[in-house]
Amino acid sequence: MSVPVVQNEDERAAFDEVFLPHLPEAYRLAHWLTGNASDAEDIVQEAALRAFRGIKTFGAVNARAWSLAIVRNTAFSWLGKNRPKALVSISDLSATERAELEQEGLHGTRIETPEELVLLKADAEEVQEALTKLPTQFREVIVLREINQMNYRDIAEIANVPIGTVMSRLSRGRQLLMALLGDRK
Amino acid sequence: MVVSLRDNDDLQLNAYCDGELDPVSAGEFERRLASDASLKARYDRLSSLRQAVRSLPQIDLPAGLQARIRAKLDTERPSNVVVLRRRSWSFQALAAAALFGAVISGSVMMTIEQYAQRENLAGQVVADHIRGLLAPQPFDIASSDRHTVKPWFTARLPQSPQVPDLAAQGFTLLGGRVDVIGHDPVATIVYKHAAHTVSLTTLRPGQSVSEQTIAGYNVRSWSDVNFTYVAVSDLPGADLAAFERAFVAAEPSPEIK
Repeated sequence: MSVPVVQNEDERAAFDEVFLPHLPEAYRLAHWLTGNASDAEDIVQEAALRAFRGIKTFGAVNARAWSLAIVRNTAFSWLGKNRPKALVSISDLSATERAELEQEGLHGTRIETPEELVLLKADAEEVQEALTKLPTQFREVIVLREINQMNYRDIAEIANVPIGTVMSRLSRGRQLLMALLGDRK
Repeated sequence: MVVSLRDNDDLQLNAYCDGELDPVSAGEFERRLASDASLKARYDRLSSLRQAVRSLPQIDLPAGLQARIRAKLDTERPSNVVVLRRRSWSFQALAAAALFGAVISGSVMMTIEQYAQRENLAGQVVADHIRGLLAPQPFDIASSDRHTVKPWFTARLPQSPQVPDLAAQGFTLLGGRVDVIGHDPVATIVYKHAAHTVSLTTLRPGQSVSEQTIAGYNVRSWSDVNFTYVAVSDLPGADLAAFERAFVAAEPSPEIK
């Protein structure tokens, strides 16, 4: 028996208006979270399908944050299923490592002298490599902030954590990144 | 988690670079930058890092991905319509199932929403505490005299809490501030215990906030007939429990004449 395909025109129109404009950003975020183009493409396709099916749950507030939150969640569940090793989570770290990351940073409480605080001179390749090495939770907030240029409130919504956590992860993530770039030679 | 001065500086430095400080704090921070060479060096270093990340080559959307997504959605059929056409005989059963499903998922959604609201409430109170710590002072009115703080609240809010002085129990009154939770201005009393700041936010009664840790801050809540109290601090849970006991024991404080 042939089943006619019935399109829900309203849902398609809503999807086109809400999700599609953010496709380039969605792809960029997925690319940074997975580290490669084909995984990113799979995730964006899957996220688009999820967004379409859930378009009625869109609350008409912030289409960009709503769309990127779906991409982010799709990427995390995709990584968990297909690349569990790549998904270094803060909760996977030992208690000591976690305390180090959350509280002390890499250099503890030592305060560097101005002379020690040299400006970073790294080329794009080095920066990219260092960013790829960051644990996913730190990389995520830095990418959302610097690449997607979201504000703290939107980052908190997308990563589903309080603003305070966004602030501490950004601060720690940047310290880690500086340490990685500083230690590369 | 003990927030050292260094930690606060880092959060503030990051928030300043990200344009997330309010104008007053930003001005304050700029004055510090001008006079503190070490802070300025950290600022320059952070800026150079941000510049390096921002100037990474932009990743472009692969050609044809949008078309592939559109094509995939074209084959996506609204499943309920398909089912109805195939099995029109079971329409009533389906309708009953749908209704049942709606009731179940409705109540689940309500629970989730309530949970989210409750967690959100705690998150907002903690966010105000953090904002307080980042501001030049964590309070709008500085006074260790409860006879100053209480009238200050009374002049600004429809409901103002008792402001007991708990210095004898180790919690020195620092002052008070008005936080905005949801859309409601509420009173927050600020105490100090050793080097730790305790924010006690007073919400309308009958709300529940579970004991939890958010962003390294412990949250403890209790209620009486007038208010739901939410205490936030980097103090250990046991000390926050002692604070609750001291506060509850101190109430009701004598009327201010």
